Amino acid sequence: MPDIAARLQRAKDWLPGGPFGVAGPPGAIQLRDVTAGYGDDPVLTHLNLELDRGEFAYLVGPSGVGKSTLLRILFGTLRPLSGEIAVDGISVHLLKSWQTARIRRRVGCVFQAYELLGHLSALDNVVLPLRMAHPKLRNPEAYATDALELVGLQDKTDVLPGHLSGGEQQRVAVARAIAHQPRVLLADEPTGNLDSDTSGEIMEIFKLLNQLGSTILMATHDEIMLSRYPARTVRLPQMVLEEAS
Amino acid sequence: MAWVATALAVGAVLTVAANTELFLVLGERSLNQQLRSASEFQVYLADDASKSQVQGLEQELSSQTGVKSVTYRSKQEALALARQDPSLAKMAQSTNSNPFPASLVVNLRSPSVAPHISRLAAASKATDRNVPASYTPSQANRLSAFLSLARAVVVGIGVAGILLASLIALVLLRSEIRSRRAELRILTLVGTPRFIIRLPLLAEACSVAIAGSIVAALVLAYVGSRVVPPVDNYLPFLQLGNAATSLSVISLATLATSVVALGLCSVFVRLPR
Repeated sequence: MPDIAARLQRAKDWLPGGPFGVAGPPGAIQLRDVTAGYGDDPVLTHLNLELDRGEFAYLVGPSGVGKSTLLRILFGTLRPLSGEIAVDGISVHLLKSWQTARIRRRVGCVFQAYELLGHLSALDNVVLPLRMAHPKLRNPEAYATDALELVGLQDKTDVLPGHLSGGEQQRVAVARAIAHQPRVLLADEPTGNLDSDTSGEIMEIFKLLNQLGSTILMATHDEIMLSRYPARTVRLPQMVLEEAS
Repeated sequence: MAWVATALAVGAVLTVAANTELFLVLGERSLNQQLRSASEFQVYLADDASKSQVQGLEQELSSQTGVKSVTYRSKQEALALARQDPSLAKMAQSTNSNPFPASLVVNLRSPSVAPHISRLAAASKATDRNVPASYTPSQANRLSAFLSLARAVVVGIGVAGILLASLIALVLLRSEIRSRRAELRILTLVGTPRFIIRLPLLAEACSVAIAGSIVAALVLAYVGSRVVPPVDNYLPFLQLGNAATSLSVISLATLATSVVALGLCSVFVRLPR
């Protein structure tokens, strides 16, 4: 397997050069006075956050503080109880259920529970959102293969998720999220099940995506990761903003 | 495998519905025949009644509300009809004379008018003194009430059976869709348009409905050809008659309604946000 430096170098060739590369201004994230939760119990109250285009930020805080909830409302899987949300120019809080596909096709998301389709191979799991986002794209398998190679899974393209380890499934989820080169990438504990070396590789991939213009918001509780890859940090529940040191 | 199990379960439910429908149709047809026959009221004429008396009675009966038509049936015609009737054929052949009286055949809009006609007939000099009409006012009332009740019972049972079967089929499909909720959620998460997610659901619902309808149609054909005739033989008072003509109609109706109902169920199934 080529090392991460070689894979990143190769990715620089295909990531911005694809037919749907991050041309144009990458997206921004804005939350204004957002209250969100489940049922009548708010988990997040009166939240304000602004991430500029092309910014990289961590979302940190103890378990149950609302990191995943915040990512869910940004991705449109949860409607806020009140407030306004804009992601990549789309008013997510106004989207009806049948309109959420719009934002899903423009924003990449790495889910904590991977959310892979068990009856599809790793390659097909990555190809699926590519087909949804770019129906006219010729040979999406090639881009999916590149994305899987980038996360170090070029030998597991035909393997079903059930036959992959937790860490490998997580890397498939990362490949799926970045394969369509999203303007905005949301990641919920994307290195949670990975060893430190593989976590480092994933962070290098995220850095590359960010350098190419993607806005990245990543939930984590890995303080070592924060110190190794410093970036702006949003601490929940107080919403304290810490600039990268 | 799950698809086969669902299709078989839906097939079993549709079988119950289709067979209920078959017996509903046969019962309703039998009741209609009895109602038609009960609505054909006969006023028996005396052998010595004059032509003018008969014509007078015919005009009087025709002018009554609830009477559709009045036709004269001669003794010879009555004998010919009796020879065709299995219950009267023996009597018609065993006698040299003609025991069947001439009659005025009164077609009623409803058997409930029969008591009034029966009273008019009894008062006329043209009618037979002993048996003036095919049934008495009280018999007519009882028959009318019985037929209405029987029809309501048959229709009620049939409708309840079909509603119950439809409900069970919908619950089966719903649980099948629920079991795929995780898959549907992931498809929405990766940005699959809703109509693309619904297409396979619709195809699955329709294929389940078609497979279930085929199972139901096969069982229905068996019941119609092998079960109904013996039942009709052993219980002739049911007058079920020939089921063959109803089988294709019921099979097609089962197919159409199940495809539409399950198809709609899949189209309106709530997808995750």
